[in-house]
Amino acid sequence: MTRNTEAVFILAATVLASVGVAMVQFAGGVWLDSEVALTFVSFALAFGALHVAFRLWAPNANTMILPIAAFLTALGTIEVFRIDPELAALQRWWLVFAGAAGAAIVWLLRSSGVAVLRRYRYLFLAAAMVLLMLPLLPESWPMHGAVVNGSRLWVRIDLPFAARDLSFQPGEVAKVFLTVFLASYLADRSEAMSTVSRKVGPFRIPEPRHLGPIIVAAGVAFIVLVYQRDLGASLLLFGLFVGMLYVATGRGFYLGMGLALVTVAGLTAFAMFSHVQVRIEAWLNPFADYAGSGYQTAQGLFAMGSGSLTGSGLGLGRPDLIPAAATDFVFAAIGEELGLAGSIAVIVGYAFLVAIGFGIALRSRDRFRKYLAAGLTILLGLQTFLIIAGIVRLFPITGITLPFMSYGGSSLLASAMIAALLGRISHEERT
Amino acid sequence: MPALILNALKILFLILIFLFLWQAALAIRSHIGTGPSLRRTKGGRELVVLRGDAKRGTTVRLRPSGHTIGRSPDADVVIDDPYASELHARVESHDASTLVHDLGSTNGTYVNGRRITAPTPAGQGDTVQIGKTILEVR
Repeated sequence: MTRNTEAVFILAATVLASVGVAMVQFAGGVWLDSEVALTFVSFALAFGALHVAFRLWAPNANTMILPIAAFLTALGTIEVFRIDPELAALQRWWLVFAGAAGAAIVWLLRSSGVAVLRRYRYLFLAAAMVLLMLPLLPESWPMHGAVVNGSRLWVRIDLPFAARDLSFQPGEVAKVFLTVFLASYLADRSEAMSTVSRKVGPFRIPEPRHLGPIIVAAGVAFIVLVYQRDLGASLLLFGLFVGMLYVATGRGFYLGMGLALVTVAGLTAFAMFSHVQVRIEAWLNPFADYAGSGYQTAQGLFAMGSGSLTGSGLGLGRPDLIPAAATDFVFAAIGEELGLAGSIAVIVGYAFLVAIGFGIALRSRDRFRKYLAAGLTILLGLQTFLIIAGIVRLFPITGITLPFMSYGGSSLLASAMIAALLGRISHEERT
Repeated sequence: MPALILNALKILFLILIFLFLWQAALAIRSHIGTGPSLRRTKGGRELVVLRGDAKRGTTVRLRPSGHTIGRSPDADVVIDDPYASELHARVESHDASTLVHDLGSTNGTYVNGRRITAPTPAGQGDTVQIGKTILEVR
């Protein structure tokens, strides 16, 4: 496998995106206009930048990360264009920006390698905490938090010179920073944390002081849940902590304890917060309050149901009837227009990415790189799982984005960062 | 007629998607095949865990370049044994014999119950003890 194969795959995904956009237009009676060309150009620029960066500064990187990322982004872009061409125009800018940022990361790490990240772990922790707290800024400031759909996880900057204000979701990037911090922290501590010295009944437990991090993790996740009302991010963060602890120590005890804490926290949240109760109710009985809290879930189910096996065809369904179809519910939109077949293709794409990510982690000879690769993969996989499970009603709706596919600059940026870091780590394994 | 065309286009697009995934799957498979940690030598010797804490019955096929054995995740063969050192021992497989090196471990490496002080050959059926874990050469 060479970088040339990667280029061919990226070109294929770019063509796929353009063909999809053309089909959406064709279904709407428009015959090929500038949108198709612009889609092609934005993909070529974004993934071309990443590809060239890999060629120059990480030539031994795994060659299949970018193709799969481009494939998923292509399906997402098509559906975002289908739902709202105006959003798609913005998404093109976000895509080019994310590609440039990913390439910049590869460039920054070109001589020092990812090892340099390990040294600045407390900087990453501080940055992540600041980013997570940003949405709590008071409304009257020029840069302030904003409540969207009942969750306070957006930051809006009022630009005096532009009609549109700039908003972003700092939590997306914070997750990647936290992963870097955790990988670095665990690379130094996993030794001590995996020794089991005490026995309580049939259980062998680690020293109590090693339980500190997991309790801190639960605390951070709970704070996010309480102050930002963001069920998805809190579950995702906690799952990331527990998953990485398990990877680093190999102790099932941490998984068990994590599960127990999630159960306790979940029950507590259910008893204490009305918005959690509403979510659970909408999950169990979406049709009980069809016009109200269950509307989004129910519309998603209708969309996927009407999609059947092969879907309505691009541009021929009504995914715009689902609330937040372009962001959280993009998977339901795929299910409607490309059917079960398209949905399976999406899931297979994510499965490939997760397999590649864990493969990189398994092959790493250095603990930090191993934990970082595993953590980034857990982050990607868990986020995908949580939102898709929410849409198909396997799990309550968590309101997080689907990596690579959902509309949103912050989400695309975080996804591109993950792809760039995984690429760089795999490069270091082969040199 | 347009409905027919649109349907055909839809199926064509789905075929394109799966064609992409199929090619990607082939490419990923060829990646996995070349991973150094998964390379196996045929007809070589293997080490089998006879007694140990967690991984009883585990078999490690020996490769000519050798393995390090220890508690550290950086060892080629990680054994979950509190009495083993981080990088405890090294086992090299040569054509005729298998050589066991002790890497300055705290509790020593034993071949057939005898603590080794120099690289020691171990043949078929010999046991190697690392910490409380006992492995047999097969």
